[in-house]
Parts: sequence; C-alpha cells; structure tokens
Amino acid sequence: MKSIDPTIVKKKTLIYIPKLNRRQRTIVSTVFAAMLLLAIILGGLLISNERITTNLEIRNLSPSLEHPFGTDWLGRDMFARTIKGLTLSLGVGITAAAFSVLIALALGMLAATMGKRIDALISWLIDLFLSVPHLVSLILIAFTLGGGVKGVVVGVALTHWPSLARVIRAEVMQLRSAEFVGISRQFGKASWWIATRHIFPHLIPQFFVGLVLLFPHAVLHEAAVTFLGFGLSPQQPAIGIILSESMKYLSTGMWWLAFFPGLALLIMVRSFDILGDNLHMLIDPHRGHE
Amino acid sequence: MSKKLLSLIMFFALILSSILLTSCSPAEKAISPTEENINKDELVLAIGSEPDDGFDPINGWGRYGSPLFQSTLFVRDNNFKIVNDLATDYDISEDGIVWTVKLREDVKFSDGMALTAADVEYTFDAASKSGSVIDLNIMKSVEATDEYTVKFILNEPQSTFINVLATTGIVPKHAHDENYAENPIGSGPFKLVQWDKGQQIIVEVNPEYYGEKPNFKKLTFLFLGEDGAFAAAKAGQVDMASIPAAFSQQEVPGMKLVNLNSVDNRGILFPFAASGGTTEEGFPVGNDVTADIAIRKAINIAIDRTALVNGILEGYGTPAYSVCDGMPWWNPDTVTQDNNLEEAKKILADAGWMDTNGDGMLQKDSLKAEFTMIYPASDQTRQSLAIAVADMIKPLGIHAIAEGKSWDEIEKMMYSNAVLFGWGSYDPLEMFNLYSSETAGKGYYNTGFYSNSTVDEYMKKALEATTEEEAIEYWKKAQWDGTTGFSAKGDAPWAWLVNLDHLYLVKENLEIGTPKVQPHGHGWPMTDNIVEWHWNK
Repeated sequence: MKSIDPTIVKKKTLIYIPKLNRRQRTIVSTVFAAMLLLAIILGGLLISNERITTNLEIRNLSPSLEHPFGTDWLGRDMFARTIKGLTLSLGVGITAAAFSVLIALALGMLAATMGKRIDALISWLIDLFLSVPHLVSLILIAFTLGGGVKGVVVGVALTHWPSLARVIRAEVMQLRSAEFVGISRQFGKASWWIATRHIFPHLIPQFFVGLVLLFPHAVLHEAAVTFLGFGLSPQQPAIGIILSESMKYLSTGMWWLAFFPGLALLIMVRSFDILGDNLHMLIDPHRGHE
Repeated sequence: MSKKLLSLIMFFALILSSILLTSCSPAEKAISPTEENINKDELVLAIGSEPDDGFDPINGWGRYGSPLFQSTLFVRDNNFKIVNDLATDYDISEDGIVWTVKLREDVKFSDGMALTAADVEYTFDAASKSGSVIDLNIMKSVEATDEYTVKFILNEPQSTFINVLATTGIVPKHAHDENYAENPIGSGPFKLVQWDKGQQIIVEVNPEYYGEKPNFKKLTFLFLGEDGAFAAAKAGQVDMASIPAAFSQQEVPGMKLVNLNSVDNRGILFPFAASGGTTEEGFPVGNDVTADIAIRKAINIAIDRTALVNGILEGYGTPAYSVCDGMPWWNPDTVTQDNNLEEAKKILADAGWMDTNGDGMLQKDSLKAEFTMIYPASDQTRQSLAIAVADMIKPLGIHAIAEGKSWDEIEKMMYSNAVLFGWGSYDPLEMFNLYSSETAGKGYYNTGFYSNSTVDEYMKKALEATTEEEAIEYWKKAQWDGTTGFSAKGDAPWAWLVNLDHLYLVKENLEIGTPKVQPHGHGWPMTDNIVEWHWNK
C-alpha cells in the first residue's frame, strides 16, 4: 500500500468528531467502524433466509418501516438482501485478502533473502502483475475458474498481492542490513534461522495492516466482478449482483434497489478504511509520528 | 485508497444520476408534436434481438416466418390458414410423396434478377445440406422441372411439410455466398442497407417487391436490450419498443401499451437421461437428479403457475401446461393441478427422497436433490422465472441453482443442466422435434435426450397421417394417452411455466393493424403485417 498523505487523513477524521483530540478521535472512529462491521456480520448470520426468498405478492414496494430498503421485483426484502450481501462480501473479502497477504509475505521474504536471481525474478513478477489492471486479470482468473465464490476468491487473492509484496521486500532489505542481523550472521546463524527469528517478527505489523488495507480493495473488486457477471448466482445476495440486477430496473423508477445497497457498500468500505488507517497509525510507530 | 474511494463515489453518483435522468427527461421529449410524426415515412424500432448468425434463411433466419428480406413460397394468414406468396398453386401426389409447386412469374430479387425455380431448388438443396435448424430430413430431393415449377420428393408422406415451405425464405442462387448472411439479397418487402453489428440495422423498401408496398420507406432496428429499449421509449427516441412485463406498469407519455397474444412459452427442460454420456462434440449429457421422474413430477406439481403469471408477467400471460396450449393439436387432459406442495412431497417421499442429514435438502442414497438451472443472462423474464421457481421448489427440499449464461455457454451446458427455454410455433413439427428420440442432442431440440418409444410411435403416425384430424388425434395421444405421454402427466421431461403475451410500447398515433398471434421469434415476427402499419391522422 502506498503511504497516505497525512493531511488527508487529518481531514477525514475531522469530519467525524471535531471536538475530541486526535487520540480520542482515533479510538472513537475505530470502535465505531469495528461495531458497524460486527453488526453487519451478526445481522447477516441472524437474518433468516426466508426474508430473501421470493414473495411475489409484496413485489416492488418502496421503502417503509416493514421493509426499510423496500422490496425488489420478486418481492425479496432489500434490507435483508443488502445485509446478507455485505456479509458475503466480508467473507469473500477477508478470505481473499488473507490469501493475498500470505502470498505477499512469502514472496517478499523470498525476494529479500534468497539471493539476487530470485529477487530479480520476483521483482519482475511483481512488475508484471502491477502492469496489468487488477480488474482485467481478476476477470480472466475468475472466468477461467468458472466463476462462483471460488473463482472470485482466487481471483482477488492472486491479483492483490504485488504492491504489498514490494513493501515487504523493501522492509526485509532494510532489516537485512540492520546491525543485529549482521551480528547474528557473524555468529554463524543460518539464513533460515535469521529469517524466522529476526526478520519475520518485524513483519507481523505489516501483515495485519496489509490485511486490513487490502480488505476494502478485495470487497470492491468482488463487487465489481460480480457486477460484471463473472461471479456468483443471482440467487446469492452479493452486493455486486444486487447492483447489476437493480440497474435493469432503474428505468422503472425503483431507485431504492440500487441506492441503499450502494450506500451500504460505501459505508462499509469506508469504515474498514478508517479501521485500517488507524491501525496502521497505532501499530507502526513511524506513522504515528507523522 | 482514497483514489479507490473516489471511484466508488463516482460510480455511485453515476447510478444516482441515471435514476434521476431517466425519470425526469422524457417528460418534455415524449410529447413531441404529432403533426411531425404523421408525415414521417421512417420508423425507429427497438423490437428484435440481433441474430447472431446474420440474415441467411439457410442458417435459420426467419424460421418463425416473415424473414423481412426474403419471401417464402407460402405464408399463414391471420387464421393460420396457408395461403400463396411466391407460389401460385401446389399439388400433392396421391401417395403424398411428390409435392409440385408453381411459382409467380413476376418476382425479382432486390438486385433486379428474376426469381425462378432454380433459386427455390438451390435454397432447399443448400438448407438440407447445411445441417442447420431447418429440418429437411424428410425431403429426398428437390428439382426445378421448368423455369417456374419445383418438384419436392419426400422420403415418406408428411402432412407438416408445408410448414417448411412457409417458413424458409428463398435465397438467390447467383448471389448466395459466404457473405450472404451479412449482405442478404432477397425478394422480401425490405432490403438491408446497413448493419452496425451490436447496434442497429437499417432497412429500406425493396423497390422490386411484388406485393403490397409498406407505408414506410425506411426502418431502423435498434438492438438495445430490454431496459435500453424501455429507456429509449421513455425518451421518445423510438416509435416502437418491445418491453418485458416487469416494465408494463409504467405509463410512458405519448406511447400506448400493445398487448399481443402469442404461442410463445417458457418452460424448464430437464435432462431426461442419467449422467455419463457425451454428445458428438464432447459436451456432457444427462443429470442424475433430473433423470428421476419423481423430481420432475414433483416440480411440475409444486410450481404455482398462476403466481408466476400475476407476479412476473404482471398478468400479461397465461399458465402453460404444454408446449402448445390452445393449439388445435393440444390435449387439454394434460393440465395438471399445480401449486400442490403436499402432493409433490408425497411423490418425492414415495420415490425414496429423504432429508437424512437435516439440512432441509433431500437426498437419495448419496445423491443430493440439487441441480443447476441455466437461462440466458440478458433475459429478465427468464431470470425472474428461474429465481421464482427455484424458491417455489425449495420447500420441497429441492435445491435449484439459477445461473445466467450466454448462449455460447448454454450450448455447452444444456445437455446436462436444466434450461429455461422458450418455444412456440404454429407448427406441430416443433413438438415432434422437442420430444422425439430422433432429435436428441441435435441443436436446441431435445437437449434432455428424452425418449419414449410409445410417444415416438404416436408422433410417427401423426406425421404420416393424411388428414389433419387424424394427425391431431395422434398428436394428442403422444401427449397423454391415459398411461403414458410426454406431458406432465406422463414422463414430464419439461415443466412448462407460462405463455407470455408480447408487450410493445407503440407511439400513440401509430396504427399497427391486427398482427397475428405471435410465435416465439425474438421480436422479428412483429414485422409480419408491416404493410398494415400507418400513422393515424
């Protein structure tokens, strides 16, 4: 992940709670974002499937107390579908981001410890993947694997690692030239020993921050690829599917079909974004000084 | 990250603005001055879907009648009676084997060359050799005996052969090459001027046309998709738009909703064979779940067809119980009592389907009651039907996974998965093609590999029958003879769902006469009575 201009971060947090000091703001926004995400997960698990089965008698209802997000053309409750969709997106996002970070970690470590040739090879691979837009390679991979949850997860995992791998490689390079590593090497420790005992622990914060920062990317790309129809079955309430389906009915004036799910996706991604930024600040001491 | 966020916000703003724009803008535009319309001699239509294979009748263009650029030997009038078009007379030999057709002598192709018997011979010869959807297996040979007489010799008598003559457009022998599908030359009322693939075709009146001249000199057919056509109608950009039932509840200023009866139906084809085989091309055949008659019957009984008509078609349609509801050869005994979950559950339980692991889904030994149901992704009505049916049969413990695919993908998957197909023709031969064991695995016909020797026998007799009454009796028996048949009462290889009305938004002052009951033809048969269309003064 590219480092973020501190002024932007400051502006963003200011919008939320202006009177608290920065530390309090960070904590409050983090807690708020975490609670929101927890609520989505719980909601997704608790809402019964009956709410999203078709009920042709209550189709095309505009938002009301009973159906806060309205119902669609098949009488499915849009609120339940949105929450379920967000849960699915969360699941796919977390799995894909976790895989992606693991790949980045492994390759970053390999590149920095295994000698020049491997480093050159991995750097070339990183450049290669970075040169192709995410979405293009994502569509290709998901399509090759025949779509479905598997296709989307593998696709997102295989396309999102390069930028993080590059950061980790740089971090490992820096660590390798640190004094304590040099001393360790002079003591005759094997490079594997150095990698696992000295270098790896320093990468754990990177790992978590990378995970959280990759997550919104993964969710958005999951939504994009299902929006384009390379992902899941239309019965599965994924946000991308909800949005793409709704587009067909927008011209009939059913604005609620796309508005609420889109807004919900925006809010969820933004909360994770805030969570990631704050975590980054808390874990990485250098970021905290900025 | 902030870039990402920005793009998300922009995407969202795009959606919002598209809602606002589509709901505000048409109001001013649609109420365009009517005087301007009355004298306009061109029409912009968003009614047909783009034919992938182009406009070559040999490849199946116009097989539902009215090929627009070509003309046929015979046509059906509004009462489905066969009347002459290119032909002036025809004669069948006593044994039913030799058909002799006399042609008009004043017909010219749009390039000015005369249409003769040689062109007819060439057309049917090429069609029978092409192996396309036009079924000419029954035809042994075709021969031009003089300049305006054609002789067809059949392998055996077939009463329905006339339908092939009424739906195959005649192509010019001198101008039929590999580019013909993109550059058709024919003797129909219009000629193709321009085809912008993926967007539109522009056609103009064929000055050489022998029949009554249409009132419009130029037609533009836009390929917009369903929501695009509706949006264009709202914006006042088209004179006629075909719309799915879901959009029918909205008033569009300046346009009237025209609702045409059709024999166009939608149903679920179940693979009838057990899994394991492959087609000649190597695509998998069969499905163990749908091969079980209990599953097929239970689904047929459980579906609430009336709810589908009211909920998805907004009432513009009727429940379908067979491929040919309401046609003379339809057997009314095949109507089943549907929306009956209890009966369906009983059928499944009797056949040994049980929920052994308590997940709400049925199993039989190690087989789960689960199958994929595919539909063309661009068709909203079929998608809604697929999702609604999947939800209707879920309480039975049958898990149908609805998946939208492109036709290319469907062609590979249709032998081993349930498919939401649409059919509907004026010709009982279609019924034969869908249910005969002879057509198993041939194109879109009988992709489920349905086969029942009793049904085959009845249908053979129906085809060989010399009178229509006799044929109809056998067609009815093939559906249900009291013990077996291809209807839902018998083997139930299909679950027919609905017959749709075709809905069009038509400019208020455009009069479109009385179109025929519409066949399944992706919109094109609508142009059949175009000579009757005119502006109302």
